[in-house]
Amino acid sequence: MATRLGVDVGGTFTDLIFYDDVSGCVDVAKRPSTPAAPEQAISSVVGETLSSRQLASCEFFLHGTTVGINALLERQGARVALLTTRGFRDVLEIRRGDREAVYDYLWNAPPPLVPRRLRIPITERIRVDGRVERPLVIDEVRQAAEMLVADNVECVAIVFLNSYANPEHELAALRILRESGLEVDVALSHLVTGEFHEYERTATTVVDAYIRPHLVHYLRRLRRDLNESGFKGSCLVTRSGGGSMTFEEAEERTFETIMSGPVAGAIGAAEVCRDLGVTSAISADVGGTSFDCCLIREGQPQLKYEGTVAGLPLQTPWIDVRSIGAGGGSVAFFDEGGLLRVGPRSAGAVPGPACYGRGGVEPTVTDAAATLGWLAFGELAGGVTLDVEAARRAVALLGEKLGLGIDETALGILRIVSASMAGAIRSVTLEQGEDPREATLVAFGGAGPMFCGLLARELGILRMVIPNHAGNFSAWGLLGQDIARSAARTCIAPLDSSGLLAANRVFGDLAQRLQDRESNGMGEQTMEAGLDLRYAGQEYTLTIDVPLDSGSFSASHDEVHSGFNRAYRAAFGHTLDEEVELTTVRATSRTPLPRRRQSHSVSTVASAWKQRSVDAYSFATAGRRSFTLLHRSSLSPGVRIAGPAIVAEETATTYIDVGIELETHSSGALFLIDTRGA
Amino acid sequence: MTVDEVVSIRGKPGKDLGGPKADPVTTEVIRQGLNAGADQMKVALRRAAFSPVIYEMIDFACGIYDTDVRMLAQARSLPSFLGTLGFCIEAAVKASGGEAQLEPGDVLWSTDGYANGSHPQDAVVVVPVFLDDTLVGYSVIKAHHLDIGAKEMYCTDTTDNFQEGVIFPGVKLYRSGVLQRDLYRTILANSRLPQALSGDLNAQLAAARMGASSLLTLIEKYGVEQYERSLERMFDAGEAIVRRYLEDVPDGRYIAKCALDSDGLTDDMVEFDVAVEIEGSDVVVDFSDSASEQAGPINCPLPTTVSTARMAILALLGGNEMPNEGHFRPIEVRARPGTLFFPRPPAPIFLYGWPSDQAVEGILQAISAVTPARARAASGGDLCGISLWGNRDDGSLWACAMDQPVGHGAKDGADGGSPLIIISCSGIRNSPAEVVEARYPVIVERCELAPDSGGAGRFRGGLGTDVEYRLLRDSYMTAIVERTKTPPEGLFGGGSGRPNRLEVRLPDGSVVSYSKVTRLALPAESVVAIQTGGGGGYGPAAERDREAVFDDVGEGYVSESEARRLYPQAF
Repeated sequence: MATRLGVDVGGTFTDLIFYDDVSGCVDVAKRPSTPAAPEQAISSVVGETLSSRQLASCEFFLHGTTVGINALLERQGARVALLTTRGFRDVLEIRRGDREAVYDYLWNAPPPLVPRRLRIPITERIRVDGRVERPLVIDEVRQAAEMLVADNVECVAIVFLNSYANPEHELAALRILRESGLEVDVALSHLVTGEFHEYERTATTVVDAYIRPHLVHYLRRLRRDLNESGFKGSCLVTRSGGGSMTFEEAEERTFETIMSGPVAGAIGAAEVCRDLGVTSAISADVGGTSFDCCLIREGQPQLKYEGTVAGLPLQTPWIDVRSIGAGGGSVAFFDEGGLLRVGPRSAGAVPGPACYGRGGVEPTVTDAAATLGWLAFGELAGGVTLDVEAARRAVALLGEKLGLGIDETALGILRIVSASMAGAIRSVTLEQGEDPREATLVAFGGAGPMFCGLLARELGILRMVIPNHAGNFSAWGLLGQDIARSAARTCIAPLDSSGLLAANRVFGDLAQRLQDRESNGMGEQTMEAGLDLRYAGQEYTLTIDVPLDSGSFSASHDEVHSGFNRAYRAAFGHTLDEEVELTTVRATSRTPLPRRRQSHSVSTVASAWKQRSVDAYSFATAGRRSFTLLHRSSLSPGVRIAGPAIVAEETATTYIDVGIELETHSSGALFLIDTRGA
Repeated sequence: MTVDEVVSIRGKPGKDLGGPKADPVTTEVIRQGLNAGADQMKVALRRAAFSPVIYEMIDFACGIYDTDVRMLAQARSLPSFLGTLGFCIEAAVKASGGEAQLEPGDVLWSTDGYANGSHPQDAVVVVPVFLDDTLVGYSVIKAHHLDIGAKEMYCTDTTDNFQEGVIFPGVKLYRSGVLQRDLYRTILANSRLPQALSGDLNAQLAAARMGASSLLTLIEKYGVEQYERSLERMFDAGEAIVRRYLEDVPDGRYIAKCALDSDGLTDDMVEFDVAVEIEGSDVVVDFSDSASEQAGPINCPLPTTVSTARMAILALLGGNEMPNEGHFRPIEVRARPGTLFFPRPPAPIFLYGWPSDQAVEGILQAISAVTPARARAASGGDLCGISLWGNRDDGSLWACAMDQPVGHGAKDGADGGSPLIIISCSGIRNSPAEVVEARYPVIVERCELAPDSGGAGRFRGGLGTDVEYRLLRDSYMTAIVERTKTPPEGLFGGGSGRPNRLEVRLPDGSVVSYSKVTRLALPAESVVAIQTGGGGGYGPAAERDREAVFDDVGEGYVSESEARRLYPQAF
């Protein structure tokens, strides 16, 4: 039993969701984000939505934040110094030599996060097997310390070659820096990731150092504000790889928060899939600026162990959420070849779509939807009043350039944007060997429920789910997270009994390290083990779960081998006769938060909502017709309604075309079935 | 030789279907669908491929074509393959009996280097796409296979194309869905690495079939008529985008001066010119006066000559789009039989990519010289690739290959920045030291920027790198490090960067430098040192900001003594 509060800060809106475990009631609210100081929007949405009694009753504050990623994208992070192995001073600047824009001769890599003068080579060398090739030259570290103190660096990263195989030089360097009077935070690469690939490990360690001061100050300010408003519970932030961690731990492992925002929705969707018994699903989160999708199998979002952000690779567990720049705010335009294009540029929160009446004049996806009558009522989320005429003007102006009518242009915008979303979904499913047509589409975010029918049609999907609190669903996803920790270390060995024994020893070390981290007395920890495996000679690895018994691997190498073959066959359709090789050992600990109840009611029922009809465009019948307008809170469980209908709720609108049938599940989730067949 | 023999190739024209133009919305949706289809082929190939050369180095190209063999989409992969696949399809279809002989379920296989524009390792799979019994297009993949029976797995010194791999001249690997087992066994029997070949070939087949099914799905969804109309409009739109860029380039005839260090057999330089003629929104890339056919394997077969021109123009003037046939229409390519860029069998072509890379660099420089706002000075200009191999104690073979990023030129408003893999091989990545050391008996002693290696200028050229590999066992090396004799030039008065260099430091203290070498035996404790070139500078050094000069010295990009020599104005 625990009352909890979730706040998810996005690029356009800050979403709140409050769950009262005693009454089972839920409050939702949305305010425009305040990117310069995100805690301001949080304070105001919390203050305006919750009473002090509600806040005082709250045991957990769960948070999805973009502070880390924004510091990185805007290059507003700390002044970081980097100690490297001599001969490898420029790993961060040389990168891997690839371009983000493959065909663009003029492309330059962004400047490195640590300037060269603060990248200090130290004489030392560890071999790949952990042997010391050249001892650490202590005097060089002392000199570095003096320089760094004099230079007022805010954070230091130490990355020595092959340190995952033997961390003694990184640890010794830290000791010497401290003895020499350096007081700022130091990030050691073998603790941050422990995985091989020196550029990727360096980038991860440097990002950790770079965003650390920023994030630490932010988390502390936020907690202070919450406490001053009467909140007395625990503060947790979502990890890129799922699960949450305390603010204290986030201060130590800042890089794990980098994708905190987008993953919460995928995790919430996975929970919905488990509750509803959906085995294969795709989450589709359509916000103001981006479209995020994730494949969910057997109730679990797909996890990977390397992600990319701001052009930098990060070695950290990562829920595989794919983003493209397509959302409600995406701007439509004609390109130089005379084709209609949509996005990736967004009108953002300011000026926003033309229909927000905040001075936007360019036609956006939201304007197209408003033009077609899909946003059939006057009030939008966050106190925005819909100006349909402004939307029509913007869309009409674009249409005139190519001799298209208003509806035709608006339709075109929606078809094009859903084609790019469908492309993203196809690639995320295809890479996992999954057929999107077999999956259920779980749609949420401010514009997700509006798009889901179109998107499903484009992909040949027949089943859709609109979860409760669809417009604030990412915040809802925050509420269900366990506390999780993870660690990894590269350990290259053949998958035989001695290789597995070595991996088991590494796992024991990692598990011990996770248990040593502050647990906050929140409950029983459970431990999970994973191994990265590949056929010898290959580069790509698959991560295989290994069962545990009293903290040790309980599977034989043969069992692990056949598990790998099964996973490989599932992904690639065949297996190989090659030897299997271990590369990396992974440990995860989980401490479950108390469960939420399944059913719950929305406390803010629309007052005096009257069912009526609106005129809107139907894709299925290619023309305008009358749609039944319903409020979601008026739909009782089990009720079935055939489209055309539009279902409104506080922060989202569900568009149900002709041929689609709605059924309300007992949990409150809406099932949509396309009865026209694939 | 008369001018009449010069061939001229352009992107294929549109067709007048009569009736109304396709609407711009459906066209855009279909365009996205085709691009997504090509990208999915790439994903599928990388996921299932066995060899790093495919999944890591992206040494392949995937495309979808219509029945007129016009390119509908090509996935972003090895840029130098941009726009060659159409030649591969036409040759394979013709060789196997022509379009009329194609049946649903057929798959064509070709390692004919002259037809495909590549060494035979870059083998082609073509899947004709049928809607019921009507041919509606082609799905095609060219991918580098590790070995299909050349005299060495990688050669720098062949003297005819029969030494370069087994030639399968556009044959049916599948007939009406049935694998031709005798043929398949023959392919594998000619490889030193049959398991890798079979794994990669199966991945290639699966990915090509996936492209075929993406194309079919689109055609079925929109109907043949709407689909065909949309293609015409899509091509026109692509053409218009490139023409917009070309209009901004001043009219004139510009000469790209290019040079290769050697032909692989002797140490003599091979110099050649490529002319770029701009008139309005049309460009002619003329290779007809380049150089004569060479004795060594640096001849570039015609299909790659065409893609060289297309890739170079679009890298600077393509709007960073995923191109289709329309994008190629403003680009005319001319070449003369019997020359470096239109060789005839049996001239050796194994290193065909290297003249192509130099031509790309040259064309980019020639255009840059007249478009100061969209210009970039020269780069190190080569992959600086080496491969090392040998035997372990148990007799098993180990082998690895490394490519290097090189310094890139400065541009208007910016220094050269981080080193990059050359644009024609963009997508390839370097090999991490920790991966090399974990797998091979090699220690990476250094991999760092080389101060003072970038050309001076108002904007400074990017630095090259110094990379050293120490061999722990007796090993062999095959290496191709081009552009060791000609430094990357600056633009508009900017200085040159340092040229590439490969040297071997033997345990006895002697030092030998190489450009191209095949199967060089090296004793344990030899050090292979690669110095990659620096980018050229942009604008006169005298105009460099004082601040920028001090910054360079502070960061260690330029030594103080060199800074004083090159930029006296700052001191």
